Parts: sequence; structure tokens; C-alpha cells
Amino acid sequence: MDRRAAVRTMLYIAGGTLVLPACFRESGSASIALTNLTVSEEQELLLAELVETIIPATDTPGGKELLLQLFVLKMVDDCHGAEDQATFGTGLEAFAAWSRQVLGMPFRQAEADRRVVLLKRIGDASDESVGKFFAILKRRTIQGYMNSQYVMTNLVKYELIPGRYNGYFPVEG
Amino acid sequence: MANLIDSIGDRTFDAIVIGSGASGGWAAKEFGEKGLKTLVLERGRDVVHVKDYPTTNLYPYELEHRGETTYQDRQANPIANRCYAYKEDTSHFFVKDDEHPYIQDKEFDWIRGYQVGGKSLLWARQTQRWSEYDFEGPARDGFAVDWPIRYGDIAPWYDYVERFVGIAGNRDGLDTLPDGEFLPGYPLNAAEDYFRQSVAKHFEGRHIISARCAHLSQPQPIHIQQGRVQCQNRVLCQRGCPFGGYFSSNSSTIPWALKTGNVTLRPHSVAHSILYDKESGRATGVKVIDAETKQELDFHAKVIFVNASTLNTNLILLNSISDRFPEGLGNDSGLLGKYVAFHNYTARIGAEYDGLLEYRTDGRNPAGGGYIPNFRNVYRQETGFLRGWAAAFGANRQQVRNSTGVGEELKSELLGGSTWTNWRVHSHMMAETIPREENRVWLDADRQDAWGVPLLHISIDYAEDDWQRRKDYYEQMTAMYEAAGFTNIKPQDDNRRPGNDIHEMGGARMGHNPQTSLVNKWNQLHLCKNVYITDGACMTSTATQNPTLTYMAFAARAVDHAVKALKSGEL
Repeated sequence: MDRRAAVRTMLYIAGGTLVLPACFRESGSASIALTNLTVSEEQELLLAELVETIIPATDTPGGKELLLQLFVLKMVDDCHGAEDQATFGTGLEAFAAWSRQVLGMPFRQAEADRRVVLLKRIGDASDESVGKFFAILKRRTIQGYMNSQYVMTNLVKYELIPGRYNGYFPVEG
Repeated sequence: MANLIDSIGDRTFDAIVIGSGASGGWAAKEFGEKGLKTLVLERGRDVVHVKDYPTTNLYPYELEHRGETTYQDRQANPIANRCYAYKEDTSHFFVKDDEHPYIQDKEFDWIRGYQVGGKSLLWARQTQRWSEYDFEGPARDGFAVDWPIRYGDIAPWYDYVERFVGIAGNRDGLDTLPDGEFLPGYPLNAAEDYFRQSVAKHFEGRHIISARCAHLSQPQPIHIQQGRVQCQNRVLCQRGCPFGGYFSSNSSTIPWALKTGNVTLRPHSVAHSILYDKESGRATGVKVIDAETKQELDFHAKVIFVNASTLNTNLILLNSISDRFPEGLGNDSGLLGKYVAFHNYTARIGAEYDGLLEYRTDGRNPAGGGYIPNFRNVYRQETGFLRGWAAAFGANRQQVRNSTGVGEELKSELLGGSTWTNWRVHSHMMAETIPREENRVWLDADRQDAWGVPLLHISIDYAEDDWQRRKDYYEQMTAMYEAAGFTNIKPQDDNRRPGNDIHEMGGARMGHNPQTSLVNKWNQLHLCKNVYITDGACMTSTATQNPTLTYMAFAARAVDHAVKALKSGEL
């Protein structure tokens, strides 16, 4: 994906609230305007690695390139209530601590396969906010991925104008 | 412009139509075509076909929240959010809760669309005719009052309206749901068709048909003349359709009316009350509040059509106070605002079917699937409750993807690993309710809205017999599902409040007698004959059919009557 496409994607993700397109501000806060969540640059970078771990780049873009971390933040900020938002913030911090303890290093620095193994063991975290945070993160990551312009125009195509209906369409195989 | 408005000549028309939704749009079109200088008052903003459909061509990823409403919106507008069609891409066509408050003496979801086109932009587009049995119902069963018309009175007007609107449907030959002037119907899918055959085999007198809907499955010259083309199966209808694939006032009757050169459309015009002249015994015009300037204006006409939507029509009539009519226009009987009824939509039933797995659906069906016309108590009273229910029926197979994993495994499942479920079948009930005097609306004595119009009290509730009808629906649908070999049958109560069916009807019901009804068989107020009520407010009973088609037929028929009465000097 070229840079222009990335910026366009980001605009779709962030609506009109984009603060900076492709680099982080020196203030250390998140790169989209948030109303209810308070997210540091550090936390946003962690979220970027998390969405990349959930949906990694292969021969097609992964979560980070599709800016799914910003989509997740946008949705949690706008579409969830205060309780979910608090859980998301608490759980994100608790996840950072738990993952550092288990991995012996920050999640962002661990190798990709160790991150995957860790996320498969998310239920092991004793702090229940970790599981709740991850459930929101994963659901919104998958939603953002499947509803991204990239996937909808290249991989699992969305038809705006089907122009047909067949109630007896043969199932392959 | 100020000078024009100031001239009473420019505020005088042959006809005024209050409201531009499905029925008002029809009145406007008919008056315009018949050469009457007509003013259409619409309280909301203008919505011009295509131009004012801002979301119509957006892909899911172009919607800021991918179609979801925000938490803040859900908190601010719980009533609107409970409507199935209220989403991020359609919310601009719905009234927001606190912009137009009303008083719920009992919980009631009043779903409204204040703009040119009204709720015709948003409707579910299901269009079924009433039958002889529906019009006979109140007299036969001894509730409400006798309809002063029968199927034969309205049948030609159904024909007339259907030809212009464009209704997709099959000629099913059922006396309970008369055939009309149909475009080709949308066929049932494999599982729906199987259910149709199973029911036909096991249950005499019960039928599953393709739902009839206001979509152009095969446009005719009359539709092309309107600038409408074939429905493209988008099923994004409530955004407004750039193809005019479904009927709305915006795509059809309003532009057609304006093209006659006889019709003036005035958006931002809140109808406050109807002006009455005691000497002539006629209404003389409409008092309007300009929604933007709050300026008060009088408009005058020889005939007035009230098509403001059921409860707002009641509100305007109740607010039309004069020495002669201190309780509301034409309301000597004291029945105005009473006997409001609706459709009971509180039941659903789902199931699964493991047959015909060699088929699935492809594309989208704008009709939604099948329809089960009411078969209860049609030819004779056969249950402990009066009247009956109709039902929607549909089946589909869902594409499922395993999302339990993480990483490449998950990605590969999301992109390639989809499987199709078995057939998931579903139905929802649309039951008749019996109009009751205590289900009513009235005006608050003190509190007014931002335009100086009294707030409306709404006190409407279910009754015991509604649950008897629902129990019958659960039992009969379960029996039909079981006979078809469906499994995992799940009856569900969806707990919806009255009003959420968006089929409120009555309050100014039609009847023979001014002492027991508000309008006569021509939809004229018995006691003020140049005022016609042709929206849901005139409904004496509800039957089970989606009502909009009937309102449109009433509107066209009433305009024909009004124009003849004007010519003969009767009005």
C-alpha cells in the first residue's frame, strides 16, 4: 500500500478527527483526537503491535499497516460506555505489565511467534481486566480488518450494487 | 419575498396538503395533476431525491463507525435507537428524541421522520391490500364501528396507486390478500419455497407467498417517466435510493407533483392548527409556524388534506380550537384522539433447517422473503380471541468464519476459511389489535414545544387479547415449523413497546355516524366537510397488513372526491 492509500485509509478510520497523518506528536499523546480515552504514545505503539499480532502482515497488509489500532481506539472512544472505556484503559496497562512479566521484556520487543503464543494464553492473566480488554480489542480489530477498504476491495469484496438475487444459488463442492 | 408572503393572494390556494409523506405526497400529486393550485406544508427540511441522500453511495469503510450509532447517540436518543432502521447511515432522517418531546403516559416509541418525504424514505416497503374480510371485521365481530366502505370501494384505487408506485408481487389468487397490479415478484429462496410446499401440504387454508413490496423489479414506462429505474438489490433503502428502486414521496410523487407547475412545496412549515369559519361551516386555511423564524403565517384554501402522520394529524385536529369546536375540529363526539390502535410485533420465532444444503442465496432480496397472510378467524370465528395475525417468514444461510485464533491462523480463517451454516429460518408476527377507547392521545394543557404547539400525551398499551393472539402465533408457527422438519425452534419475545411497529392508526376513525366516528366514507370530517383525513388517523381497525398502501389509496380516492365536490359546488 502506498503512502497516499495509507493516508486515505487513515482518514476513513479516523473520520474528521485526525490530528497527524503518519507520525506521532512530540506531546506523547495518541495520534487521533479522543474524547473519552486517554492514551499515551507508548500505549498506542503497544496497541499497534497487538493488532499486528492478531492480524499479521503476510503477502497482504497486517493490522498495523491498516492502522487498526486507531480504528479500535476510535470505536472504543465513541461507541462504548464509560465502564468499557475504563476497563479498556485498565486492561491495557495490566496487559503491558503481565506481558512484560511473562515474556521478560516489553511485548513490543518480543519476537512475533512469542507474542502469538502469549495472546493464545490470555486467559492465564490473573487480572480479569486483561481478558476483558483483549476481548474488546480483538472484536474491534477483526471488525476493522474485515470492514477495511483494503479487505473490502481486494480480498473479501463488498458489493455496493449486487443487481441480482438468486435464491437457488448452487453451493460449490 | 417578504412582500410575496405578506400578500394574502399569495397565501391562498385551491388546496392545502399538510405533510409530504406517503399519503400527503399522493394527495399533492393528484391535486397537481387535476390542475388545482396546491400548497404542500412540510414541517421538516427539504430532501431532494438523490441530492440529499448523503450516505447513499458510501461503502462500509467510509462510515466513521462502520454503521454503528455512537454511545452518546444511544444515550441521547433511546427511542429512535430502538427502531431497527436507525443506524449511522440513516440517523439523519429520524427525529431525535429531545428535539420533539412528547409525554409518555405509558411507554410508547413514537418513531418520526420530519422532512420532505417523511417516513416514506424509511419504510419497510411491504405492500399488501386489505381484503373484504378485513373491512367486514368490526361489524361482524362487534368491535370499533362498521367501516362505511368495503373492498370494492377501494379496489380500483389500489389498482391506480399500485400502477404508479410499482409493486413487486405474484398473483397468488388468495381472497384473504387480493392480487393487484403487480410487477414480477421476488421469488422465494430454496428453503422458503420448501416451507411453502410443506405448509400447503400439511395445513389447509394457509399460504406462504413472496412478500409484496414497493420495488421496481421490472420498471414500466410510467416509472421511467418518474426518473426511476430497476431496483439494484442493494437493500440499503433507508439511505434513500439513487435509482428510485423503491417508492418514496421523494423519488416519485413529490417531484411528479412539482412538475405539474401547480404545486408549491413549503418545507420548515409547522402546521399549528386548522382555521375554521363558523358562518360557512368550513375550514378556511391553516395556521403555520415557520420552523426557522418562528413567524406565524396563515395560508388559505378551499380544501385541506391532513396527512401529518397518524398522531400528528390527531394533534393538529385537537389543536384546532374554535368557538364552534372547543374540543378540536369536528370533535363533537369527544372521540378525537381515542381508539388508537397499532400492530403487535412482539413475537418472533427462529429455527434451523438441514435440508437443501446444495443451495444458498446470492445477491440480496429487497422483498425480504416470504409472507404468511392471516388465516385466523377469517371465514368464521374459530378461536377465543378476535381477529388474527400475519407473519413475515424468511430463511438464509450465514457465512461464518472461525475467529478463535490469533495471528496468521486467524487471518487465513478470516480471508478464506468461511463456511455456510445450515438454513436459519425466522419469522415475526404482525398481529391485529382491537381499537380501545382508553388507547388515546390528548394535548397537554400547559406545556408546549419550541414552536408553541402543545405537547402530545400518549397513553397506548397492549391488552390481554394481544397475548392470546401471540400465544396462537407461537403455537401455530411451531406446528408449521415442526411439520417442515425444522429444528432448534426458538420462540422469542422481543419486548418491544407499542409504537415501535410504526403502524399507529386511528384517533379520527372512519364511520357512518358523526356521533361515533370522525370522518365519513370519503375521508371528510363529518362536521367540516372540506377537511379530509387520509393518513393512518382515519383507520377504524388495523387488520394485519402493512398499512401504507391503503393510506395512499385513500388519499388518491379522496382527492378525486374533493375535486368533484369542488366542481359540483358541494364544497
